[in-house]
Amino acid sequence: MASKEATVYIVDQGSSTGECHNGRVENDLDFGMRYIWDKIAETMIANRTTAGVGVIGFRTDATENELAESDPDAYSNISVMKPLGPMEMSHLKDLQHRIQPSDTDTGDAVSAIVVGIQLIEKFTTLKTGKPGKFARKIILLTDGQGVLEDDDIDPIAARINELDIELVIVGIDFDDAEYGFIEKDKSSVKERNEKILKALADKCSKGIFGTVEEAIADLSIPRVKTFRPYSTFKGQLSLGDAIRYPETAFRIDVDRYFRVKAAKPVSASSFVVQQPGSQQATRDAAEMPEDLSAVKNARAYKINDPSAPGGKKDVDREELAKGYEYGRTAIPISEAEENVTKLETFSSFEIVGFIPNDKYEKFLNLGESGITIAQRTNPKAVMALSSFIHALHELDSYAVARIVVKDGKDPQLLLLAPSIEPDLEALIDIPLPFAEDVRVYRFPPLDRVITTSGATLTKHRYLPSDELEDAMSNFVNNMDISKFGRDDDDNPTEYMPIEDTYSPVVHRISQAIRRRGVQPNEAVTPPAEVLIKYSVPPPELISQSGPALQNLIDAADVKKGTPHPHIPLIPYPNTNPPPPVPPKTKGKRSRASPPKPLSGLDVESLLTHPKKFKLTTVNTIPTFKQLLAAADSPSLISPAATQMGSVIHELITRSLGDQFYEQALENLSVLREQMIEFEEPGVYNEYIRDLKGRLLKGELGEGRKDLWFRIMRERRLGLIDRETAPASEVGEEEAAEFYSMRLQTGLPSRAKE
Amino acid sequence: MAERQFKTEEEEEEEEEFDETDYKAQKDAVLFAIDVSSTMLTPPPESDSKKADRDSGTLAALKCAYQIMQQRIISNPRDMMGVLLFGTEESRFQQEDASNRGGLAYPHCYVLTDLDVPAVEDVKVLREMVEDDSESKKLLVPSKESVSISNLLFCANQIFTTKAPNFGSRRLFIITDNDNPHVDDKNTRSQAAVRAKDLYDLGVIIELFPISRPNHDFDRAKFYDDIIYRDPNEGEELALRPTTFKSTGTDGVSLLNNLISDINSKQVAKRAIFSNLPFEIGPGFKISVTGYNILQKQAPSRSSFIYLDGEKAQIAIGETTKMAEDTARTVDKVEIKKAYKFGGGTVLFTPEEQKELRNFGPPVLRIVGFKPQSMLPDWASVHKSTFIFPSEEDYVGSTRVFAALWQKLLKDKKMGVAWYISRKNASPQLVAILPSDEKLDEFTGGQVIPQGLWLYPLPFADDIRPTPECPKPIVAPDNLVDEMRKVIQQLQLPKAMYDPGKYPNPSLQWHYKILQAIALEEELPDAPEDKTIPRYRQIDKRAGEYVNKWGVILDQQSQIYEAGRKTSIKREHDDSEEGPKKKAKVSRATAGLEGMNTDDLRAAIAKGSLNKFTVTDLKDWLHSKGLNSSGKKADLVERIEQWVENA
Repeated sequence: MASKEATVYIVDQGSSTGECHNGRVENDLDFGMRYIWDKIAETMIANRTTAGVGVIGFRTDATENELAESDPDAYSNISVMKPLGPMEMSHLKDLQHRIQPSDTDTGDAVSAIVVGIQLIEKFTTLKTGKPGKFARKIILLTDGQGVLEDDDIDPIAARINELDIELVIVGIDFDDAEYGFIEKDKSSVKERNEKILKALADKCSKGIFGTVEEAIADLSIPRVKTFRPYSTFKGQLSLGDAIRYPETAFRIDVDRYFRVKAAKPVSASSFVVQQPGSQQATRDAAEMPEDLSAVKNARAYKINDPSAPGGKKDVDREELAKGYEYGRTAIPISEAEENVTKLETFSSFEIVGFIPNDKYEKFLNLGESGITIAQRTNPKAVMALSSFIHALHELDSYAVARIVVKDGKDPQLLLLAPSIEPDLEALIDIPLPFAEDVRVYRFPPLDRVITTSGATLTKHRYLPSDELEDAMSNFVNNMDISKFGRDDDDNPTEYMPIEDTYSPVVHRISQAIRRRGVQPNEAVTPPAEVLIKYSVPPPELISQSGPALQNLIDAADVKKGTPHPHIPLIPYPNTNPPPPVPPKTKGKRSRASPPKPLSGLDVESLLTHPKKFKLTTVNTIPTFKQLLAAADSPSLISPAATQMGSVIHELITRSLGDQFYEQALENLSVLREQMIEFEEPGVYNEYIRDLKGRLLKGELGEGRKDLWFRIMRERRLGLIDRETAPASEVGEEEAAEFYSMRLQTGLPSRAKE
Repeated sequence: MAERQFKTEEEEEEEEEFDETDYKAQKDAVLFAIDVSSTMLTPPPESDSKKADRDSGTLAALKCAYQIMQQRIISNPRDMMGVLLFGTEESRFQQEDASNRGGLAYPHCYVLTDLDVPAVEDVKVLREMVEDDSESKKLLVPSKESVSISNLLFCANQIFTTKAPNFGSRRLFIITDNDNPHVDDKNTRSQAAVRAKDLYDLGVIIELFPISRPNHDFDRAKFYDDIIYRDPNEGEELALRPTTFKSTGTDGVSLLNNLISDINSKQVAKRAIFSNLPFEIGPGFKISVTGYNILQKQAPSRSSFIYLDGEKAQIAIGETTKMAEDTARTVDKVEIKKAYKFGGGTVLFTPEEQKELRNFGPPVLRIVGFKPQSMLPDWASVHKSTFIFPSEEDYVGSTRVFAALWQKLLKDKKMGVAWYISRKNASPQLVAILPSDEKLDEFTGGQVIPQGLWLYPLPFADDIRPTPECPKPIVAPDNLVDEMRKVIQQLQLPKAMYDPGKYPNPSLQWHYKILQAIALEEELPDAPEDKTIPRYRQIDKRAGEYVNKWGVILDQQSQIYEAGRKTSIKREHDDSEEGPKKKAKVSRATAGLEGMNTDDLRAAIAKGSLNKFTVTDLKDWLHSKGLNSSGKKADLVERIEQWVENA
């Protein structure tokens, strides 16, 4: 919650905390600090200036606190190491440096709490003298080995309650029967101290007492960020037209909130390393590591202009009108008419109709759900909505409603489902798709096979046999997890309820940032166990359903197909990394079955075998492919490729501006793909090197450098490396270098005056 | 729409990383080839029925192309479309090549609109063909000699080669009623087959939309099976039943609707968002599946900047360059480091570390277990679902296993629960695997929902928002619920289901309708057609009686409740002084505008005393009537006066 906070950490740094106990190799202080650092990091990652953090050490060598000035005895060896206020990186570094086991065992934990109370009181009192609205908290970490005065426990507890402070006491190796930790051979001092501190915590209305072991174990459970309810609509849920039919319409005052809202991982900002000698005048040094500079976006606009160099001209934003695209037509819209394409809407929430809930398919849900409740201060509305919710529930029905959350916003259709709980009656809403949101893709049926002649088959290798159906049914029943979990009382319950699943990305990134903030030199660790718990079925379930699975595998008789090259879905992404190129494991392309039309007609025999056919710019690609297909000796491949090369040259030479570039590029990509297929990477590599020279030297016409840029950057038609085609002489590195090579003169210069 | 532009660049950049739009980048080009012959131009036999089909085959095809072009401008604004007539007396090839090759290269082929991203002019051309009879008649004259199909195919070849060389998906839609164009000429048949093979090698897929005549059923085997190849992207033997269309001229589905429905289902190139994803049903037991985005929220195109000083208005292309803040130096993408804000400072990760943090293993869909579908609560909705279908490529036998799983889930109303990483470095999700049974369109019989499985994203604990704090619910008394139940029973949607097809997005449609009207210099339409607006008259007619009764009961019951509460409040108030004061305040406020009936209001208007109310009062009143409550005070007053006048 985004309210103001004042949290004071009180850390026991007595010399005894330098010891290691209970088989640990790190000392007690470091062990306990794991909890404190993580807590502090959690505050820091939120980047909120309203979250005040203070740190007090006790049993420190020094004494640094205001109370000691008047009462040096009671408050000795207590140091305020960081006053309450926002926690910054520099503070963290300072504290990490200073929080170390001291050389003393003097210093009273309860006195340190009093110092903490005083810090909080001062920090949270407003100028008016009244206490401000803060979440106040003291967290005490101690090993319980120091000397404690327990005389003033009662008044201190009273003061803590008066100030509404939450007191958390975590002890290193404190006994906690509930958690299941009991320390053997405990010293009598520690035993007594634990009792005193427990008594103190018990006296506080918001007191928590526990062992640090449990606190640390809890750290690995992701903490879900809490939000305040966010209202998305305030108004009336209505049925009918209250203006035209006032007697037969109803309106209920309601409030609508988010019910589900996707959590996003913390987002990163962009920085660059500063150029040496750059000015730092405007930067706040504390804001950023010294050598980084923020990255800003600048937007420039270009238009096509055949008369300009490169065919493009820069234009100022001021010169441009606003408008929209309709197909490839630009439609300017004057400022006065700016909203002409906007549908005029008024805030409303209206019921369209009702459907039985078994007639709705959940996979049509379009996104995040909302929740609607009746206006809280309006009992009539609460009662009215209740009757609506109960009626829906009794009829097993959903409502369909149209909502406009604010005047001028786009209408959205919602599905309304009743939700009845003892303490909350509400309507759950889900956004529904419009006609345009559903694409019509047709798929063949799964329960029958239709042959090309139109006959319907019910037995086919694509259809499961009875045996496979039984095996699958048995397997699914065996893998049922609806009662596989165990609740607190060890009763069977749902496994993997939504409340127990944490977003792996959100928490992994958050954990990594906190870790790195505290330990900058530690490497990134694998995801925490709890985040990937549900990436596999539970082991007991696997072993239990083993026979059913084996049965299924046998009945299914699935065979691993030939390794399928991952074909990039975007044919030519101009983004990094380069698209994976199909690795060919087969030898020379085997033309076992040339493609045939539906009738099975042998088209090959009709083709005029074009062994000496000359490639032209007309019908290039089909002819080239047919040439290669007909080539009965590898010696014929290179000449075909040479012809293709000439066609590409011709297209480039003839091109006015970029007129034939697309065609040339397409031919080039077919050439590359075919040379990979026919295992002649050398032919292509030689050609592309040659083409580069010609383009950059202007042999195929002036100003063809931008074409080279497109070949490399946009289409990535560089050298074929050994990984792509084993016969290639070019290594992966060389190929990469060919790409990354700066085109010294290649880039069309931006600043053309 | 305005808001969309105000998204900061930073946000956009962040989104880019996860956006699926990357995967839509594969562009699609569709060329319609429409047969113009005497039979294609013959309207169906006369019929008395009002719904009877009046369109000839050619006209239906043109109407269909016209509608689909407008549709594609909205749904696929980057894709190309063209219309080619064949069998016409006139010939025309692409305009720019007309000079050097002349129309004679492809006799009786007439390029009506170039293959390109449609422009307003193209829409206009089609509209004229469809609407203006005299204009279309001039062009729609069948040639005396028959057109050579090989010529048509080669013409299409040239169009695709020059206009859409690098498109990932290129399709030729042939609409004809002639199942045997070269009956006796073996040679021309062979030529057509060869030209068809060329198209296949070029990567162009031919889709046939055959039209049967009343006395003649189209037979693909006669000719077209020689020129049509199976779409290599489709499963090898899994086929959809081929469709033929018949214009009967009688009642029922018109040829046009049939054509539109079928072409619609094919006009969107099936774009997979991932292919051959390993689907691990049990440890060590995998099949492969391909995923499709059947659901995709469509929004109006963003506004752009337009350059008007040239010959023709054109869209200015925006380019973002990144600059270092301190020196305004342009920086290269590789130089950029990502850092997180932390306690006023930053925490840095190298790009490799960044990547590692998002790496949860290779793409996979892995079953964790199964649950009954009833365990999926209504509120657990966070993203749209993805449709998956088996692919035989990596694992032979995937289809039958997938089908068995689908059957079981459907029959027992169960769902799979799975761990899902859709592609490399994508965030892992937990999904429910839900089965869908086939749903057909009631009129055309076309498939609306296919058989298959859906990956339904489950929310994480992090996505759940707290429910608002509420006082203890006031459960409605039975007689009130009973009355509401009647209301609900009266107002079932048609067929008792939600059919998205019946509800076009009103703001999207309006946006494009206005743009089209501006572009075609038509008069702007007055009022949008908004099918999402409830049908008030029907509601009044069918449920009015019950709503009214419900209202009466509600008044009684809430009075009873209020009476009960007041006595209990009174008792409480004996101890506290604050209560009654507050109460008085509330009642004074409500005695204002809200307490007035229509006659009071009329009187107030006559006296001109509406102005005395505060803006808040006026707004509250308007709001309570479900009226627009924005604007200046004068507007608000005027709106109330208007209402009173109409009351």
